[in-house]
Amino acid sequence: MNKVLKQVLGWFTAAVFFFPIYFWITVSIKKDKDIFALPPKLFNFDISLEAYEEVFGISRFLYVEDMGAVRPGGGDFYMMPNLVDSIIIALGSTGLAMLISILGAYSLSRIPIRGQQHFMGWILSTRMMPPVAVAIPMFFIYKNIGLMDTHLGIIIIHALMNLPLAVLLMKSFFDDIPKDIDEAALLDGASRFYVFWRLIVPLAIGGIAATAVLCFIFSWTEFIFVLILTQTGLKTIPVVSTSFVTSTGTAWDNMAALGTAAIIPAFIFILLVQRHLVRGLTLGSVKQ
Amino acid sequence: MDSKKSYSLPGGFINSDSSLPWLLPLITMLVVFAIIPFFYNIYLSFHEFVPAKRALLFVGWDNWIRLFTDEVFWGSLKVSLYYTFMCLAIQLVLGMGIALLIDSDDPGFGIIRSILTLTLVIPPAIAGMIFLIMEDANYGLITWGLKSMGLIGQEDTILADPTLALWGVMLVDIWQWTPFMVLILVAGLRSLPSEPFESAMIDGARPFQVFRRLTLPMLHKVIAVAVLIRGIDLWRMVDYVFVLTSGGPGTSTYTLSLYAWQRFTFVQWGYGATISLFSLIVILIVGNAFIHFAKVKW
Repeated sequence: MNKVLKQVLGWFTAAVFFFPIYFWITVSIKKDKDIFALPPKLFNFDISLEAYEEVFGISRFLYVEDMGAVRPGGGDFYMMPNLVDSIIIALGSTGLAMLISILGAYSLSRIPIRGQQHFMGWILSTRMMPPVAVAIPMFFIYKNIGLMDTHLGIIIIHALMNLPLAVLLMKSFFDDIPKDIDEAALLDGASRFYVFWRLIVPLAIGGIAATAVLCFIFSWTEFIFVLILTQTGLKTIPVVSTSFVTSTGTAWDNMAALGTAAIIPAFIFILLVQRHLVRGLTLGSVKQ
Repeated sequence: MDSKKSYSLPGGFINSDSSLPWLLPLITMLVVFAIIPFFYNIYLSFHEFVPAKRALLFVGWDNWIRLFTDEVFWGSLKVSLYYTFMCLAIQLVLGMGIALLIDSDDPGFGIIRSILTLTLVIPPAIAGMIFLIMEDANYGLITWGLKSMGLIGQEDTILADPTLALWGVMLVDIWQWTPFMVLILVAGLRSLPSEPFESAMIDGARPFQVFRRLTLPMLHKVIAVAVLIRGIDLWRMVDYVFVLTSGGPGTSTYTLSLYAWQRFTFVQWGYGATISLFSLIVILIVGNAFIHFAKVKW
């Protein structure tokens, strides 16, 4: 195919896929009249950061007049606590999932067990479980043990959700490191844990970072577990963003401001680990 | 430094050359995640909350009998199957086309690939929101575009129309996850050896022949993995319908997961668990059969 045509089609494809993101960002900085304008205003609109101020309280000294009373900027759409909830849960669940999966994956890679294929198949099968099928029983279990509506409860369930990915992916990274390294060190009298912690983990650090980023993103974007396993105590961003849809109308600009703020860190993270992205998306099965 | 001493934990537990201590945390978590919910689901599917007695009571096979006679259940099964297969086919074909297009070392294609990764990290609920405003009946960009091109009538809507609503939902999935296929297939294409393609060129093979006889067979493993993972996630999807249509209009966009969730919120806990258990069993059987027959290995 013609090289110029290929370039044009390639950039056209990228533009088509990027367009909804661009449009969403513009909604977050538009005023209401421009949001609802038809034909849509893609470039020629007035910029307003009001939505961000309401959602994040950037300007704490901004006061808005509301039914005659003056109150600090923010109000019903103040989402800073939810952003904090999301960060706590994503970091906590990533840490927990990584801790467990690195130990398990190292062992699966280095000390084969009987029925290893079946065990791996079992791990993969847990990746298939529909979240609803896990969340409904978990609702009752959490109610009984008091984890309902707590950060710890969501951290545990998100770590569990990410374990199949983390284990399979980390095993593929450990498999890339020659086993001779372990064996030579073990012959020299080093202990298993020393070999693991001092030799293998530093060599796999790139893979560990990539796995952690994916775990973080999947926790950050998860919806149905948080929806079912929380009530009023906490809400992560994907769940709370549905609360902008009310019976009196939808606060599109606020919703878009929150959505934009939620996706930009994820964009930066994913571009940092792009080299390992395909391996991560295929649970370690397709290497780049 | 004497390694053995300084890194031994009490009892030398984790120093063990046996794999049990290494795997124990993982096995514990997987039992909690996979085994307990599975059996609890089975337990729930034989019980139901009875409002008059305010208790979860044993009801025998009632939930399962209800399942197979419930029209809404059959409808949601049909929607789940249609959604999974249509999206999978479209994403695979579209993804393959785009992958072939951008599999190039020319300047610029790296940036194009980077742009395509961006849709993958958007929370699906927020992706749903993006399309909720674009498919809005009054001021939605896509609705307006379709009307201007005369593809739908002036009074028509997308998400409130029983025949179009599901496609409105599928559009989000296709937008967000076609790049998933693209990136995996590009990685597959890039890893192919160049010699067979060069000799095919010398032999004067046509591009389509090269694609069918060389590219496709050599990519079959990569395609199988992509189809498996995408298929699982399509079957489990609930975020998009939740945000865009909540199953409506009527019950026309209920998927199994959404219907299970909806029954659960109506305090039909046993029936909700029965629907989700059904969905779980189907994907376990189909997924493992696929792994077996497509010879996917981890």
